[in-house]
Amino acid sequence: MAEILVVDDSKVMREMLIACLRGQDDLAFAQASSGLEAIEQLSLRPFDLVLLDLNMPDIGGIEVVEFIRSQDRLRSVPIIIVTTRGDETSRERALSAGATRYLTKPFTPEVIQSEVAAALGHAAPRS
Amino acid sequence: MPTGVDLQEFVSGFLLEAEEHLHAVNRNLVAATEALARGRPEPRAVRELFRSLHTIKGLASMVGAEPIAELSHEMEGILRAADRAGGQVSERALDLLLQGTRALEERIHAISQRGIAAIPAAPRSLIDALALEQSAHARPGGGGAIELELPDELARNLAAADREQLAQAVESGRRAVVVEFQPSPERAARGLNIAAVRSRLAAIGELVKVVPRASTSAPTGIAFGLVLVTDADDAVLAEAVDSTPAAILPIRATRARAARAPEVIATDAEREPTSGPGAEPGAEPGIDPVPMDHSIRVDVRRLDDALERLSELVVTRFKLARIAGELGARGVDVRELTQTLAEHARQLKRLRAAITEARMIPLADLLQRLPLVVRGLTRDTHKSVDVSIHTGTAEVDKAVADRIFPAILHLVRNAVDHAIEPREERRRTGKPETGSLRIDCDDSSGTSLLLTVRDDGRGIDREAVARKLGEPVARSDDELLQQITRPGLSTREDVTRSSGRGMGMDIVRRVVEMLGGAMSLQTAAGQGTTFRLRVPVSVTIVDVFSFAAGDQVFVAPVAMVDEILEIEPSRLVEAPAPQRDGPVARLVQRRGTSIPLLTLTGVLGSAVIGSVPPKALVVQQDRGAIAFGVDRMLGQQEVVVRPLDDALVRVPGVTGATDLGDGRPTLVLDLLTLGATVLQAKAGGA
Repeated sequence: MAEILVVDDSKVMREMLIACLRGQDDLAFAQASSGLEAIEQLSLRPFDLVLLDLNMPDIGGIEVVEFIRSQDRLRSVPIIIVTTRGDETSRERALSAGATRYLTKPFTPEVIQSEVAAALGHAAPRS
Repeated sequence: MPTGVDLQEFVSGFLLEAEEHLHAVNRNLVAATEALARGRPEPRAVRELFRSLHTIKGLASMVGAEPIAELSHEMEGILRAADRAGGQVSERALDLLLQGTRALEERIHAISQRGIAAIPAAPRSLIDALALEQSAHARPGGGGAIELELPDELARNLAAADREQLAQAVESGRRAVVVEFQPSPERAARGLNIAAVRSRLAAIGELVKVVPRASTSAPTGIAFGLVLVTDADDAVLAEAVDSTPAAILPIRATRARAARAPEVIATDAEREPTSGPGAEPGAEPGIDPVPMDHSIRVDVRRLDDALERLSELVVTRFKLARIAGELGARGVDVRELTQTLAEHARQLKRLRAAITEARMIPLADLLQRLPLVVRGLTRDTHKSVDVSIHTGTAEVDKAVADRIFPAILHLVRNAVDHAIEPREERRRTGKPETGSLRIDCDDSSGTSLLLTVRDDGRGIDREAVARKLGEPVARSDDELLQQITRPGLSTREDVTRSSGRGMGMDIVRRVVEMLGGAMSLQTAAGQGTTFRLRVPVSVTIVDVFSFAAGDQVFVAPVAMVDEILEIEPSRLVEAPAPQRDGPVARLVQRRGTSIPLLTLTGVLGSAVIGSVPPKALVVQQDRGAIAFGVDRMLGQQEVVVRPLDDALVRVPGVTGATDLGDGRPTLVLDLLTLGATVLQAKAGGA
């Protein structure tokens, strides 16, 4: 069982993401509606994968990635950015900050499914 | 792999969220407009505008609402530029954002009415203007560099807009602080997480930024620094983060500007020295309840569902009462039962009131965007209008709100376009240059609202109205109201930008009458016009089929209709014992069984028409299905049902009357009761 933290300030968007992935075997989901909540949840217990929006209140997704990558304990968790920002600058900033993959909205269910499967396959198994 | 995911299922969720964000957009546009008038940027409003539009854009692209995604994308571009400039927005940019917001609202509305396919394209000229404004706005820099004394990890995370917000606050004498919150499993278990802390602090100050950081003293190795402008003292702040005043660090800010000597504004002199370093964070149990926003969003249809369930309960209660009556008639002592039933009835009534109340929205929320509308209307004109809205705490049912808002909007547009004079003309006639438009609401009656829209403009020109209609000049305001609400009348030959579209005064009156309300007019040449609209606080809205039977039009609730049956003459069976005067003329075959086919004209007492109706509405009764013959189905719509108050016209099977928009009453039929009445009569007669 892999546990995914879905981070987006839009409830509908979180629901869409989870709906796209729900059919997959052995996935469990937790949600966070801001980058701060995401960091808090990650500090309290481990996750296998983070799906992360970029534009959120208080701190944006790139700051969240930078922070996660600066923490020894969290450094290896895969992070897939799921964002409406399609520009190259945002993509480069996110990837150089340490995001694993960068997806833009709108996405199709197939794309998100294969990205998640790939990210979980590459991730080190959780102890 | 088959995905089986249809993102179209999320359209209604998208609409709900988009509406909420548009609400925030309107609120923040007002704040940004006021900030522009004051000459001080409002970086926070700009940020929130950006975020709302960005979320709308992302969701719209997911559900395939391209024009909305495109519009919000261009609007977002302007706001990104403004954010980089420390929250400065030009008047031109605000106007474009305002137009963009209207265009978004129209499209959201179109989706909710007619589905995602019906969405109009984004207006080209507006898209181009928005794009142009972005490049025009690409100049950085706000009001001078701001020096902030902060730990590095905090300082590098603050954007220009954050710095501006901090500098403004300390310049106006408020405190800027960083408060540290350390999350822990134990605190999380008590519900004290970052989201809760955030809303606690937002309640006692302005939150500028929250930054996560590594902390060796924190239980999880991670802490949050919440940067805040506040008037609260350290003890209150410390309590909010479940810590001691040691968790609070003041911020000094200086603005380096040639015209002003750098000055240190905030000092840490007021810092409490009493905090012992030994105080263990999170040691004190039993914290206060977390102050949070207690509102949730509910699709109004769910509340309608709840009301529907409630009506079922009411039916059951009537059955119980009838049984109690029968028992009583047989000599059983039912006093206690009767008392309990009476108590039950009161409880049902209170439950109904509670659900109805959940549908209420504050009138202030409904009308908050009117100042923006007026601003849009007076742009490029020689008019100034001061809008004041006095609604107090009045609330109104969502169903009434949706219907009455366009009417108020029309009155406001009329006032700005036609009634209030240009500045020059007002000055000549000795009036203040700025016109006044005032909206009041009196909800003291409890069951109805009295809305007043009053302007100090030139008054309605009776002669012009009369000329236009080719009728005598109205002798009273009432007569004048009748004249101006005649369909199609416009007192102006040259159609102005905004009066050319939208609805006329006839529609305003129609809306008010549909709601079962009333309106009145008072106007004086050169002094102004006042419209008074009295509307009920809540109404019953029902989704109905409308149809013609005989030469009459009726409506019946969709929920009651099991099926609309096409009648093939071959499926008709003459009733075994035809009743000459009775309504049951025939039986019709449906899924292998024969069900009675009634004609409505027969049921309602007129003569039975011999011809075979082409269609029938089938309702499912306890004792089987019944079909009601229909000559023509006219459509499906939501209507406001007005109860029939007059006992003389009360007929079993008729719930009330409604207005389908033609100004004439149409009967709302309760087909279940109608059917039951007929079958009972038949059983009794047999």
